[in-house]
Amino acid sequence: MYVNNIYSVKQDYEPFRDLALTSLSRAPENAVFPGSDPRVYGNPRRLEPILAVIPARNEAATVAEVVRGVAASLACTVLVVNDASTDATAAAARAAGAVVIDLPWRLGAWGATQTGMRYALRRGFRTVVTLDADGQHHPQALPGLLEALRASGANVVIGTCAARLSAAKRLAWRYFRAITGIGVVDFTSGLRAYDRRALRALAAREASLLDYQDLGVLMLLRKKGLQLLEVPTAMSPRRSGGSRVFGSWPMVARYMLHTTVLCFAQLGARAPIRLRRAAETRA
Amino acid sequence: MTAAITAAVIAVLLAGSILYLVRRDHLHGNHALWWLVVAAAILALGVFPGAIDWLGRLTGISYPPVLPIILGIGMILLRLLKLDIDRSRAERQMRRLTQKIAILEQELREGRATPVQPEATASAGDRAAEDA
Repeated sequence: MYVNNIYSVKQDYEPFRDLALTSLSRAPENAVFPGSDPRVYGNPRRLEPILAVIPARNEAATVAEVVRGVAASLACTVLVVNDASTDATAAAARAAGAVVIDLPWRLGAWGATQTGMRYALRRGFRTVVTLDADGQHHPQALPGLLEALRASGANVVIGTCAARLSAAKRLAWRYFRAITGIGVVDFTSGLRAYDRRALRALAAREASLLDYQDLGVLMLLRKKGLQLLEVPTAMSPRRSGGSRVFGSWPMVARYMLHTTVLCFAQLGARAPIRLRRAAETRA
Repeated sequence: MTAAITAAVIAVLLAGSILYLVRRDHLHGNHALWWLVVAAAILALGVFPGAIDWLGRLTGISYPPVLPIILGIGMILLRLLKLDIDRSRAERQMRRLTQKIAILEQELREGRATPVQPEATASAGDRAAEDA
């Protein structure tokens, strides 16, 4: 059945390419999620209330627009976790109507995101969606992401845009797919939706020493036996600043080395990952 | 004979300063115990250098002076390892504390600790997962 349908990149990736061109909010209409069959997974889950977590560091130029976009496209509370910005990020986010948590010093993108997850659990939110503050993720994609989470029964839904991956990233992800066995197209996509079980796993101490919302997080989820689902999404190129992970060659080297060590540390803890086929077009 | 006296003086000085630091409360708990043991070992070997030859004969090492060096380096490596483990733990706690402080500060600013949305209530399990 679907549950054992381990997602393999080579075979299943091609259909994504077409879907990636369409807006994600339309994806569930032409896609059939195995979980929407109540015989398999029971009734669709309740996801509300939803918290949108936007980690932001020096994103004053774009954060307000992102906050307003999220509020417009999804009935949710918007939380901006200000990762010790030195510009007016916090003020801009507040003015746009977001709840803002100010970190006293830098914790990095994942540290900020985890802060949002802890906040969510503390306040009783059932679902967290995350997106970047630099405007590369479209808030319009969020309803589709949530629909995928609701219908598929997966614990985490990742929005990926394969067309946007650079050659270096493609190579890097191929390498990490090979050594981890996690068949995800984009490991670092910050556009994700997490259900309550995933939140509990990721808000815990275990996840606090991770640095990025990437492989470490996915491996932890796998260890806990949670299910991932990847959904193709449209994304814009980054408007301001470069990639925090793939900025310069020394950074890339450091990242690759770090992550490789992390992978090997996790080798023994491999549980069979259950990655569902994202979309099956009806014949 | 002078070499033995030099060794003894160095040992007494080292052991004395460690003891002084422990007594002044600059080293705590387990650290204090560790360093007291080190001070005692230095003192014993410095004052009775013959002990090394005896230990060498006992363990079958033909060049006994190398014995304290090997043991010393081994101990230092273990100590470094322990230090990094402690540092990782401290880092983890520091990060979580930072997050907690930021969340509490937000609640304080908001002036309420009630759920943002009326139907949102944190279950005990969620609280535990977040606090753990």
